[in-house]
Amino acid sequence: MGEYLKTIAIAGAITLIGVVGAHAEDILLGTHVPLTGKLARVGTGMHEGIAVAVDIFNRDNKGRYTVKLITINDETNPAKAVAAVEKMSSQGVVALTGGYGSNIIGPASEAANKAGLVYITSGGVAPGLTQRGHKGFFRINNTQGYSRAMMGLLKDMKVKKVSILYNTKEATSDLAKTVDKDLSGQGIDVVLHAFDGGTSDFKPLINKVKLRDKSDAIGMVAYENDYVAILKAGKVLKPNVKAVVGVWSLATSKMNGEFHDLVQTVYGTSMLPYPAEFTSPEAKDFAETYKKLHGKEPDYLGQFGYVQTKLLLDAILRARKAGTLSTGGLAQEVRKTDSDTLIGQVKFNENGDNPLFSHRMGQHQGEKVVLVWPENAATGDKQFPSTPWSE
Amino acid sequence: MRANGILPAVAVIALYLLVPAALGHVDYVMSLIVAALTIGGIAVAWAMLGNLGGMVSFGHAAFFGVGAYVSALLTLDAGWPVFPAMLAGGAGAAIASVVTMPALRLRGPYFALSILAFAHIFRILATELESITRGAGGILSIPVLPTVAGFDLSSKIGSYYVILTIVLMAMAGYAWLRRSTVGLALLAMHDTEDATKVVGVPSTRLKAMMLALSAFITGVVGAFNAHQINFLDPDYAFSGLWTVLPIVAAIFGGYRTISGPLVGALVIYLVDQLVFKSFLPHGHEIILGALLVAMIVLSPTGLVPLVRQTVTLVRQTVTRGHHAAA
Repeated sequence: MGEYLKTIAIAGAITLIGVVGAHAEDILLGTHVPLTGKLARVGTGMHEGIAVAVDIFNRDNKGRYTVKLITINDETNPAKAVAAVEKMSSQGVVALTGGYGSNIIGPASEAANKAGLVYITSGGVAPGLTQRGHKGFFRINNTQGYSRAMMGLLKDMKVKKVSILYNTKEATSDLAKTVDKDLSGQGIDVVLHAFDGGTSDFKPLINKVKLRDKSDAIGMVAYENDYVAILKAGKVLKPNVKAVVGVWSLATSKMNGEFHDLVQTVYGTSMLPYPAEFTSPEAKDFAETYKKLHGKEPDYLGQFGYVQTKLLLDAILRARKAGTLSTGGLAQEVRKTDSDTLIGQVKFNENGDNPLFSHRMGQHQGEKVVLVWPENAATGDKQFPSTPWSE
Repeated sequence: MRANGILPAVAVIALYLLVPAALGHVDYVMSLIVAALTIGGIAVAWAMLGNLGGMVSFGHAAFFGVGAYVSALLTLDAGWPVFPAMLAGGAGAAIASVVTMPALRLRGPYFALSILAFAHIFRILATELESITRGAGGILSIPVLPTVAGFDLSSKIGSYYVILTIVLMAMAGYAWLRRSTVGLALLAMHDTEDATKVVGVPSTRLKAMMLALSAFITGVVGAFNAHQINFLDPDYAFSGLWTVLPIVAAIFGGYRTISGPLVGALVIYLVDQLVFKSFLPHGHEIILGALLVAMIVLSPTGLVPLVRQTVTLVRQTVTRGHHAAA
């Protein structure tokens, strides 16, 4: 009896020690983003979304799991991004989220592949990234999703000819060519006009559009500074087009605030209207946490950073529960993803790409950015035909 | 004299044996050392052109990019083995330097700016010649360095040995050239070009040769980088950083010396990434900038001459102390 009691007492003590000593299991997650250098703004935006996903995960799994995020600034430099991945790998991260710019993501994800780490991103749309046979590489967005949105809107407008002005940088030229192919396939005439990233005077190009192309619409596949310069040239020369359609970094609150008159009735890709309207519980949670952490309204960069990281963390949790996290099961779990997210449905194909990705189109209307395409996501009607220089 | 010969030999042995033995297992640090040596290689080529050719170039990114593209495309599209392709990359950069040779008629800042313009032209060509270079989209999955006799040169230690060998060979060639009669003519030309022309030195030909040699070394380093990073695009290959960082490294280390550019590259890159970045993740470059300014003010000739002067001073003090004691 005495031995029996002693055994119970020891077992009880061990259990008690176990209970008292129980603490949340730490999961190390790594991210490298450009926080300085020429991609600092977009890198910072993505990182804000990553931080929101980690914060929500830690809150929802309090007492069980704690994700510790290791962030390294890759300074918009491929060699430093590779070194960052190797450093985080040696620190024991289970996976990587982040990366901006295909020229950074390419070598960084090669290093992650060598280290056997899963790498998820939304920062690079180069087609080659998902064609390298990396089993642990995943991307939630792609060129096709942007092209689909731009093409869908132009098709709805029933335009017959489009002049596309595109920056010769990698992402923009890839997208311009995809849009060209897609629009031509729909029987719409396309005239491509390439310009170097350093171009500041677009009057010669706009003159070509006005006098030679005589298109129904102008497409812009470029970046913020390019949009501003193109629209300024348009205001001077007033080409007779029915619409001006751009892609990323255009239908944003920032552009609406800083270049209010210049961007009126211009279209751009946007997942959210502005002011943002969040309807689903997840979207509301995201927006509130974002404001709590960063003191401002979320933007599309934060949204993408959040979604990629949330999907990764969900997969980490599944792999942890299945006991396969440390035995290479994470990539399989990410591959099983089939989620309705803030950027739409995400489901990865065998290359790690998300073929379901499709962007939405927003239009600057007064103080607002109104979603006008696709119909099921629209928050208002498009103002068409109209340009910033329309009477 | 003997000490002068022993010190480089000890340094070379340390670089080949001690560094991999001590740090070979830390991929992160080895990555940084490889990146620093890459900059060091360009810095040596840049300093050689300045010291022996008397030319200050702001456009070594052109040669780096051409070397990288030639080697990457030869391995990918023509099936060349990596090392011959790297040499061809160097040769391609040397040939590209021929295009820039009309600039040899210019001097000082005019030469520097014209070479800068060539770098810009090459970047645009790499973007526009899409059928050859794959355009702005760049090239992914460039073949890695090969495995030789069972040793994987694409590993961190392997890459380290390859770039270290390239840089040391460049330095050895530079040292040999400086001691040769050609080097003597170049040094004389550096001081008074008109006077050397009068005594029959073919100054333009020698300058062209130096430019081609400097471009060759830079091209080989660029080719190495392409096979190590496995990615190229015009913005990356012809980035101004491939010009600016080596110049900073060479000036910091002492561009008049053979070892100064390499020492400068190792110090500024490693101290910046391992020390400054750890306590100032954003904006650590400010400290580096301040350090460079301080170095230029305190020792305009650079770090290596400063260390030499300090060592000499300490030796003299010790010797004087011994004499006084005797």
